[in-house]
Amino acid sequence: MPFSRRRTLERVEAAPTARRDSAWSALGPGERTSLIAMAAIVLVAIIGPTLMPYSPIIPSGSQLLPPLSSGHVLGTDVLGMDMATRLVAGMQRSLLAAVLVTAVSAAIGTFIGVVAGFRGGWLDSALMRFTDLFLAFPAMIIAMAIAAAIGQSLGSAMIGIIVVWWPLYARLVRGEVRRVVALPHVQAARVSGVRGWRLLWRHVVPAVMPTVVVTASLDIGAVVMTLAALSFIGLGTPAPAPELGRMASDGMKYFLNAWWVAVLPSVTIGLVAFVFNYAGDALRVVLRRTGV
Amino acid sequence: MADTTVLTVSDLTVTYRGRGRVVAAVSDVSLTIDAGRCLGLVGESGSGKSTIGAAVQGIIPADGTAEATGRIAIAGRELAPLTDPAWSEVRGREVTSVFQDPMRSLDPTMTIGRMLNRYTGSAEASVAALERVQIRRAGEVLKKYPHQLSGGMRQRVMIALALAPGPRLLIADEPTTALDVSVQAEVLGVLRESIEDAGCAVLFVTHDLGVARHMCDDIAVMKDGTVVESGPAEDVIARPSDAYTRRLMASRITLDTDRTRPVGAPEGAVVASMEDVLRGLERPALDVAAAWSAGDLTWQDFTGPTASVGAASGREDVHLVEHVTRASLAVNEVNKTYSTRVRGRRVDNHVLKDVSFEIGYREAVALVGESGSGKSTLLRIAGGIETADTGTVDAQGVAGEGTQVVFQDAGASLTPWRTVDELLRERIEHTRTGRGLSRAQMRDMARSTLELVGLDDSVLDARPTQLSGGQQQRVAIARAVVVPPSVLLCDEPTSALDVSVACSVLNLINLLRHSLGISIMFVTHDLAAARLIADRVLVMTGGEIVETVPAERLAQDITTDYGRRLVDAVLA
Repeated sequence: MPFSRRRTLERVEAAPTARRDSAWSALGPGERTSLIAMAAIVLVAIIGPTLMPYSPIIPSGSQLLPPLSSGHVLGTDVLGMDMATRLVAGMQRSLLAAVLVTAVSAAIGTFIGVVAGFRGGWLDSALMRFTDLFLAFPAMIIAMAIAAAIGQSLGSAMIGIIVVWWPLYARLVRGEVRRVVALPHVQAARVSGVRGWRLLWRHVVPAVMPTVVVTASLDIGAVVMTLAALSFIGLGTPAPAPELGRMASDGMKYFLNAWWVAVLPSVTIGLVAFVFNYAGDALRVVLRRTGV
Repeated sequence: MADTTVLTVSDLTVTYRGRGRVVAAVSDVSLTIDAGRCLGLVGESGSGKSTIGAAVQGIIPADGTAEATGRIAIAGRELAPLTDPAWSEVRGREVTSVFQDPMRSLDPTMTIGRMLNRYTGSAEASVAALERVQIRRAGEVLKKYPHQLSGGMRQRVMIALALAPGPRLLIADEPTTALDVSVQAEVLGVLRESIEDAGCAVLFVTHDLGVARHMCDDIAVMKDGTVVESGPAEDVIARPSDAYTRRLMASRITLDTDRTRPVGAPEGAVVASMEDVLRGLERPALDVAAAWSAGDLTWQDFTGPTASVGAASGREDVHLVEHVTRASLAVNEVNKTYSTRVRGRRVDNHVLKDVSFEIGYREAVALVGESGSGKSTLLRIAGGIETADTGTVDAQGVAGEGTQVVFQDAGASLTPWRTVDELLRERIEHTRTGRGLSRAQMRDMARSTLELVGLDDSVLDARPTQLSGGQQQRVAIARAVVVPPSVLLCDEPTSALDVSVACSVLNLINLLRHSLGISIMFVTHDLAAARLIADRVLVMTGGEIVETVPAERLAQDITTDYGRRLVDAVLA
């Protein structure tokens, strides 16, 4: 051989770590902070309650101690339960519920949206009209009605929210699927002979997932707020279980002489919602880097 | 002669910084253009030509993403290479521009008249301005919005707008690249005449040496941010002194290019593929690169035995047939209608009307036609992406399996999150050849096919986003031929590529065609490329095949109006 074949072939320089590094470096300082803050909140929600010295549902000191009292950094509530402990426990409860609600809504909505968008035709019309049915009612009212019907508990509030939440995902995903199906790479896969579920799973769904994940992470904040709102009006967790919305609602009565009992849970709700919203945007920047 | 020099650029260096990377887009470039002269800035993508175009309009942002040093002087006025307030007095008055895509640069909310009257002052003057760019019934055009005009008309309006303020310098950045090939020549003619009338200096940015020669007095060839060669257009074209310019020149294909041989200068990857083919055919090894340079290499040297099934897959059961009569692709009276609803009423668009043709074994046929002629729909039906309303498509040739498609935008046709190995395996799995093969066997097939298209096996585990445009197109071709199809359908596979890359893709398609014995249907706007690949050229208009011309006699025999315009569009 007059030529060394190896030398003339083109190579790619694979740099497995380069992608992750550049995704992080594409973020601004605000976005980085939000992701770190989100991680911190999740960490506190997971391990926080076990580290707290008190129980969230047993009084541990004098009633209505102001913040910065000795032994009670954030004070105590009207029954003498430690505020910090209750806030951390409430955060865990709220976040867990919100993540569950969002995940279940996203899963149902994604499934229906994918089927409708990919199959098209009468099935698409039928599924979408069904979806519209749920979208037509005011979300909060339906959630209240369902929660009131099944009885006052966190579970019924969650079910109520799921019922009104999934149609948004179904809509979103159906649109995305229809867009992606028309892209050249899906047509090319069809030409290669890939059909049906395999085509959907390998070539379509991965393009839709970033949108779903970003929307879900943005939604977690909103679901925390909605759950809190349902609890606030008395439809969520019954007392004395620590739930942020309930705590804010109960604390309102003592607002004038013990502001912290109402304000601290409200601030916590706002903080969680804000951080998750901002982190969702950061996540979008990271995930959008794949193109499609 | 300082008073006649309109643009002076000296020692311009532009560096972009983003995500921790610093890219020198332009380094130490100096240019001058005198009044009434046209300088062509020619180069491939990434050569820095558009950055210079942006710098002399003062539209490189001063927000820290770019750094620029050097001097720019326009009509004796010194300007900073980055945006600063002084530019706003110059831009749109002394310097105007015609961009690539007129749809994006015209304001969609304004009529042509409103845009133009701002510069001309009156409707009469605007009519005169439009007439200067050879727009007939200018009065009516003034009342229209950009979306109501054709691409060619829009670009004429753009030219009229750019010349209306009486600029000293006009920047034309790839002004015809986004237009249908058949109107490119007209628009270039209009541009040429109008700038001669206006007497301004012109900086003409293009990737196409042929267009540059047609339009420009002087040419500067750019590569990697520097000017490698410059001088009077005829000198640069006729006697290129730089190796890169020579390669660029050799990559240009015209209607006179020899279609029996590989085009352009020998290129490593294609040479490797050729050696691979010769070894596969058990022909004596020869110094391919030397033979190619000497012009001794013809496609005949790579023609495999008739109907050698599975040449790329290395299978043993290669069976030989003496004479093949069965067509590889038979399209029989295919009809296709799209229906849309406009304001509640059903509008039918009859895209294909009783289209019939055959592509023989080993034959290559090009399908040309303007946008909307139905050629792409035909390809999609032949490729099984869409179905015909009536009529049949038969792709059960004697050799190969079915049809495969090479898309225009190779990058978009490869699923970004799948590896090259997975993409190729998917095709193998869904063929008769691939039935019962193990994963390792399929990987071997993929590897040898990648070698055949000039890619190392490190590409196997790469994802498409890690590859360059040319590499992506080769992966797309590899996927299409890893199990040789009966017919390879190519949808403008080169129009998105730089000339040198396009050249190597054309060579590769020709090589595969001859060595694997696959038939080709080549859909394109570019008659020169069509002629290079195809034996016959079919011209489509309004959903029908109106003309069939043998490739050898394309320029002489083509008679239809559209065909003639395509011939004119291939600027010699």
